[in-house]
Amino acid sequence: MTLSADRIPTYSVGELNTAIGSLLERGFAPRFLLEATVSRPQVKKGHLWLTLTDGTASVSGVVWASRLSQLSYRPSDGDGVTVVGKLNFWAARASITVQALDIRPSLSTVLRQFEQVRQRLEEQGVINPGRQRSLPTQPTTLALLTSVPSSALADMLRTGRERWPMTRLLVIPIPVQGPVADQIINVLNRLAERCDALAVDGLVLARGGGSREDLAVFDDEALCRCLAQFPRPVVTGIGHEDDLTIADLVADHRAATPTAAMVACLPDRDSAERSLQNRRQRMKDLVGWRITRDRQRLNDRRSLLAQQSPLKRLRQLQDDLHQKRDLLRALSPSRWLQRGLALLTNDAGEALSAVTSIKVGDRIMVQMNDGELETDVQVIRPASDQSKS
Amino acid sequence: MTRAKTKASQIKAWKKDIAGLTYEEATQALDLILAELQSDSVPIADLQDRVLHGEVVLDHCEALLRSVEQSVLQLDPDSLIETSSLTDPNNPTELNNA
Repeated sequence: MTLSADRIPTYSVGELNTAIGSLLERGFAPRFLLEATVSRPQVKKGHLWLTLTDGTASVSGVVWASRLSQLSYRPSDGDGVTVVGKLNFWAARASITVQALDIRPSLSTVLRQFEQVRQRLEEQGVINPGRQRSLPTQPTTLALLTSVPSSALADMLRTGRERWPMTRLLVIPIPVQGPVADQIINVLNRLAERCDALAVDGLVLARGGGSREDLAVFDDEALCRCLAQFPRPVVTGIGHEDDLTIADLVADHRAATPTAAMVACLPDRDSAERSLQNRRQRMKDLVGWRITRDRQRLNDRRSLLAQQSPLKRLRQLQDDLHQKRDLLRALSPSRWLQRGLALLTNDAGEALSAVTSIKVGDRIMVQMNDGELETDVQVIRPASDQSKS
Repeated sequence: MTRAKTKASQIKAWKKDIAGLTYEEATQALDLILAELQSDSVPIADLQDRVLHGEVVLDHCEALLRSVEQSVLQLDPDSLIETSSLTDPNNPTELNNA
């Protein structure tokens, strides 16, 4: 090929393709991000071939077999994706293909999977707020499934130490991103079998913040079924407050963050100290009340006993006797005799209260204050005669 | 044996009894003593002993609360066998965002 300003360049096909390749190599970014929808993905000889489209334009794409095994996500037809790619130009056919170095699901893909799994698990009763178990109030041992080391783990351990250091923490490292659902399921199954042996009272599944797409593993249907069947209460602390995964929906308690998960699982040491102080005060109060009340009872018995003493009883009997004597005196006829009235009786000693029971000539006895006298009746004047005269 | 020595050996025995109790078990024991005191089932002569017993249990609970050492064990995810004790969780050598 000869290049000159005066002449139109002339290429062989091979030269042209090589020139295009050279131009692309010099003028195009070695790595780029491509937002696209996946169309017709198919694996041929171990390589994943697909078409990347935005609805109007499209370009071929490939994930080489060597890279395919490392991908954290395998796209399906219609999935929205973000591709980390580079251009492959084949000079022999002048064809351009995007070589995908990594493929991540777009937010819309993740959310679509979330909705599909949620609908299935809700229909089957796996997601059901009614089956949520209550958390242990003072767990002896908690299993923490999270990435190690990680800032999420450091936050959880700090929170555990501040709130309730008496709970033993078993940290079990798990991968928390990518196609790792099977690994997490294996750990969950092993732990479920050994819950009694390890004295595990509860499980915390935690992951620090990231994009919603990074949390997609916690939308995995098999993983979430496994979580729902775990023999101990499960608490999730995944991502940020706004992130909701299927794992959160099947858990017995969903905490907004890993730290919040520990807060939900562990009692508060400060409030426990206050409760102990209240108990100490209550014990003192109970003893004080008991002694005061028993002393009062003793005093009551003392006064009851004092009331039953012989001297007191004798005085009371004497008082009663005096009262009766006074009453008797008050009722005695001698009081009337002292005031000038007289008591009349006949020979038989019967009291006379009416002139009709007396005849002229009868002898009657007259009892007065200072003695008696006998007299014969000479005249009888009934009260009606006296009123006439 | 003097009365003071008897009391001291009694307290020692109580402390030995509760040494292995968890916080939850110790608070249950404490609540039992409180319930006894509240129900008048304790004879007056035993009142002081029972309160002393309660104080020993309370001290045990408070000592547990004051403890700052937390047992943190890391298990191998495949075998669930202890691999290490996380002695300094505030200073992990390598952090990632997850």
